Amino acid sequence: MSYLLRRLVRAILLLLGVSALCFVFTEMAPGSFFDEMRLNPQISPETIAGLRAQYGLDQPLAVRYGRWMKSALHADLGYSIAYNAPVAPLLLSRAKNTLLLSGTALLLTWIISLPLGVWTASRRGGLLDKTVTLLTSFLVSVPELVIAVALLAVAVRSHLLRVGGMTSSDVESLSAFQRAQDIALHLALPVFILVLCETAVIVRHVRASVLEVLGTPFVQAARRYGVSRTRLLFRHVLPVAASPAISLLGFSLAGLLSGSLMVEVVCGWPGMGPLILEATLSRDLYLVVGGIMLSALFMIGGNLIADIMLFTVDPRIRKAAADAS
Amino acid sequence: MKVFARQTLLVCLFAGSCFAAAPAPDPAKPGEELFRLSDVSGHYGGHLTIGQRSEPKTLNPVTSTDAVSREVIGRLMGDLIEINRSSQQTEPALAKSWKISPDGRTFTLQLRKGIRFSDGHPFDAEDVVFSFTVYMDEAIDSPQRDLLIIDGKPIQVTKLDQYTVRFALPRPYAAAERLFDGLAMLPKHLLEKPYREGHFAQAWSLNTPSAGIAGLGPFRLKQYLPGQRIVLERNPYYWKVDRENQRLPYLDELVFFFVGTEDAQVMRFEAGETDVISRLSSENYNLLAREKSRDGSQLADMGPSLEYNFLLFNLNDLGGKKLDEVAGKQVWFRDLKFRQAISAAVDRESIVRLVYGTRGAPLWGNVGPGNKLWINQSIPHPPQSLETSRQLLKSAGYSWNSSGQLLDPAHKLVEFSIITSSSNTQRMKMATLLQDDLSHLGMQVHVVPLEFRALIDRVFQSFDYDAAVMGLGGGDADPNPEMNVWAATGTSHLWHLGETQPANNWERELDQLMQQQMVTLDYAKRKQLYDRAQGIIAENLPFIFLGTPNILAGASARVGNFHPAILDPYTLWNADELYVRGPATERAGTR
Amino acid sequence: MRAKTAFLLAALIGVHLILLFGGFFAPYDPTSQNRELPYAPPTRLHFRDGAGLHLRPFVYNWTTSVESDAPDTYKEDLSHSYPVRFFVTGASYKLLGVYESHLHLFGIRESGRIFLFGTDGYGRDEFSRVLFGGQISVAAGLTATFIALLAGSLLGIIAGYYGGLVDESLMAVTELFLSLPWLYFLLGVRAFLPLHLSTLRTFFLLAGVIGLIGWARPARLVRGIVLSSRNRNYVLAARGFGASDLYILRRHILPATFSVLLTQASLLVPRYIAAEVTLSFFGLGVNEPVPSWGNMLTTLQQYSVLTSYAWLLAPAAALVVTSVLYSALADVFHSQLESLTT
Repeated sequence: MSYLLRRLVRAILLLLGVSALCFVFTEMAPGSFFDEMRLNPQISPETIAGLRAQYGLDQPLAVRYGRWMKSALHADLGYSIAYNAPVAPLLLSRAKNTLLLSGTALLLTWIISLPLGVWTASRRGGLLDKTVTLLTSFLVSVPELVIAVALLAVAVRSHLLRVGGMTSSDVESLSAFQRAQDIALHLALPVFILVLCETAVIVRHVRASVLEVLGTPFVQAARRYGVSRTRLLFRHVLPVAASPAISLLGFSLAGLLSGSLMVEVVCGWPGMGPLILEATLSRDLYLVVGGIMLSALFMIGGNLIADIMLFTVDPRIRKAAADAS
Repeated sequence: MKVFARQTLLVCLFAGSCFAAAPAPDPAKPGEELFRLSDVSGHYGGHLTIGQRSEPKTLNPVTSTDAVSREVIGRLMGDLIEINRSSQQTEPALAKSWKISPDGRTFTLQLRKGIRFSDGHPFDAEDVVFSFTVYMDEAIDSPQRDLLIIDGKPIQVTKLDQYTVRFALPRPYAAAERLFDGLAMLPKHLLEKPYREGHFAQAWSLNTPSAGIAGLGPFRLKQYLPGQRIVLERNPYYWKVDRENQRLPYLDELVFFFVGTEDAQVMRFEAGETDVISRLSSENYNLLAREKSRDGSQLADMGPSLEYNFLLFNLNDLGGKKLDEVAGKQVWFRDLKFRQAISAAVDRESIVRLVYGTRGAPLWGNVGPGNKLWINQSIPHPPQSLETSRQLLKSAGYSWNSSGQLLDPAHKLVEFSIITSSSNTQRMKMATLLQDDLSHLGMQVHVVPLEFRALIDRVFQSFDYDAAVMGLGGGDADPNPEMNVWAATGTSHLWHLGETQPANNWERELDQLMQQQMVTLDYAKRKQLYDRAQGIIAENLPFIFLGTPNILAGASARVGNFHPAILDPYTLWNADELYVRGPATERAGTR
Repeated sequence: MRAKTAFLLAALIGVHLILLFGGFFAPYDPTSQNRELPYAPPTRLHFRDGAGLHLRPFVYNWTTSVESDAPDTYKEDLSHSYPVRFFVTGASYKLLGVYESHLHLFGIRESGRIFLFGTDGYGRDEFSRVLFGGQISVAAGLTATFIALLAGSLLGIIAGYYGGLVDESLMAVTELFLSLPWLYFLLGVRAFLPLHLSTLRTFFLLAGVIGLIGWARPARLVRGIVLSSRNRNYVLAARGFGASDLYILRRHILPATFSVLLTQASLLVPRYIAAEVTLSFFGLGVNEPVPSWGNMLTTLQQYSVLTSYAWLLAPAAALVVTSVLYSALADVFHSQLESLTT
């Protein structure tokens, strides 16, 4: 219980720190929201100055942060300059879509990578192992953006999948089941890209740690004693090899909101990605800070879950904790 | 797939009454003064899809600042006087006629009678006065406010009777009627309350229900799905009719998809998922041209745009700022012969070929061949000549050392950086070509790409840069929107910002010419003045002009009346005239 | 196994040697433009002509076809053939950055051009650019990976070994690092730096920035490993024998982290090389006209380039090859480690 309490305090401190640094970093970056208007010869600097004053952009950093802090405590995350609408509803409506996308991708990634990593480790040097290693090398070296553009091109040209957005134009006329089908078809491409890129990383790690454990004396001894393969795997190998995998799972959970940004932009998926990217580039301050706060929450949650899992799954850590108390 | 389609059809037919079909055009009422377009014909039905690079941010015509939002807002709103993008001339719109007083300072506009907003509410002079009050309200800081301030004084708007409005300008302003294009007429019955209550800026955000928005444009808002698309449906009360007196628009619906990136735009267009695409780069245009024969899409190369790209040198006063290195280099930049030498060294032909894929035009002045009404044809167009550059540099006291590097009269190595926006690949390419050209003169030039707003900050605020490749223009063919670039005290006088008076003789003359042409009402006289101004600019090179891209647009085979133009909005300016070719309409339950 | 390892090492060393002596292997200066030949496809090597089979390959020049609509369709100009010569004199370059040399492995006579990997949008030889570009990219990627892994493992070990408050505060710092908007920080850094950075400075900047941001993940991974290995029986036994912390760290904990570190290294090197693409957007990458795999990959993000000019995928292919070699090497080290521990 005290552990959870400590984590809560840590989480609050972290959110405070992230929000403060956010403001500081934004101040560091040159330029502000209304800069694009300066290039327009028909808009006067007085208008730009007036707009800046309207949104409080000319106030000193501490004042802006203080105001934001006060309203944030009332769950009001400020206004987006571009949309002229409150930040929180904007973020939450998109966050739902992002979670749908990244949640599905997470599930599929782990369903594929765990068995694949274990299998290629246990049959090391085999054809599957070699193919997988080659493929993962390829996927890791090519930037995600290039992969996304290439797959998008294939998808669009082949007309197999629905590309762009989350629903088709005639979605109102469809039954609930057909609507789900429609969304699934739109989901397919971005999920595919995400799964492809993330599986490459996770398979490598799982394979490496399983290999390491397979080579330890106690496993080899167990083998010689005739312990069956599955029992060996589940009772002896996996719990010990789990540590890096759990940390990686923590990363996956932490990145549920932020990890799919580029894929969402390229595929036109209506999640937080396009919103935050544009807000960041155009210096839409409160929208950016709100988005980062939300992502930070997931980061904290993800790491917390990972830490709890680490303690419960790995018998050695559990034993140490038990011994200590 | 087939089962899926059949199911859809069945559900559609059953639910036909549940989800509203696009409204049919309202039959003409007596006393309604409609605008007949005598050369437009087509037939009703169908929808067109457009892919947008990002999402519109707001539907408020007074506060919107980004191009994507304006693309949608422009289809919902109507103006008093419109600039026909094809002819580039003004034509009557909501104002059926107007009279200008002999001194050019008073405009009396006659509004069309019997016109209604898209929600059926009548439109009259009250709405006009209200709209201008909002535009000119200082508390709102609308970007369009500055258009209505001439000589520091606002335009006076008075209602003379229910359908007559008078505009009084503080002084004559050439082509003043062009100001009205883009100033949307707002519905007083919907917006007066938020205005009086002081939260006008939050009005007509994207969450507004469609009943809360009404305009005089060809379409009205039907549906908005966050992050995905905006659907516009026909405005049944739209006041333009075609040749056969059928009320426009032909289209039932206009759908804007948010596709995310320019590449995605091209891909979706290629796949036939979107119908109209504009501002293509030459690479994408050529890509689509290869597919053209297969799918019959209409690709249009409209010729050079009104934009001009240039190399700009930092000639600002740096006193007070700790920018000694830049100040040291300004000695070179201020020398006219130095700038002339650089201009002679630019390989404009390669810029057009390599940057614009031959779909562009070289520039030696700020007005390009696309602006047929105002271009000064007698400005010289010398080809690249490194020999001329070397002569000019020699005569200015420059020399070369044994390694071929250029030394200034004080025997300092000539070295400087060119900054440009990292998100604009074309300008980056121009900078790279320039860098190579100038290296043949022995100059050490570095290309420094910066993030867009970081670039703006350096050019407008910190002045911490040597040279920049940028672009301006494209708004309108008329010289007046460019006043702030060429007037000495202008706020877009990029090479020397913050001047309180002209810095030298040619700036003084340029300033005078621009001020004069602004108040000269006769086109021929104005042209003479502006020609002379262009000559001064081309001789004194505050900007070294590089080139301009062509306007490239495309539409699928099914789009009728597709007439792209070189003025923004390039393809949708005649959205009310577009129609879907082919015998039948696709959507079940439409008619 | 041993033959395979030898072959692998030879291939890796070979690739690095080629990159190191890029100026020798490349026929042209990577910044020289041929403006009449933008986006030219790779030059075809011929061995047979009217006179029969030749041992020495020869090439023809590209000329543009007459169609004006598509400016870059090329066909071979058969009027003049250029035999490929070896050990020729050409453009000058600096061997290892110090010695000036004019010797190139192969080349052809002046009016001819040999583009093994075609040309880019300015008509620059892609083959030369890939070779020169690899120099800074691979070096920066390796250095950045080294920095990130060094910092990450150090902090991860400290956090995992000492546990308690140290662990919690260090992990809190990693969470902070992973949540922050680095975009703005990078923009701030760029604004603070002088406009023009020499290639060497850019190299350090790249390596430093990527390493600085990248240590958080390895730290968490290593910390997890250390948490589980610090209570193993032999560690407890060693403690019981009076071994110091440093001894335990060096002999027992550190080796346990090697597996994760190797895997991370093989994953991070290509990723960090590609990260330059993002950094170029902020002006923190290698600037034109100097080539680097990162800034060459930026052009690949355009759909029109991907579909029309396949030869521009060369830097991506080079990156993949390098990545495959490195991960195979990591695998070899893994198996060496295993045979050491068993």
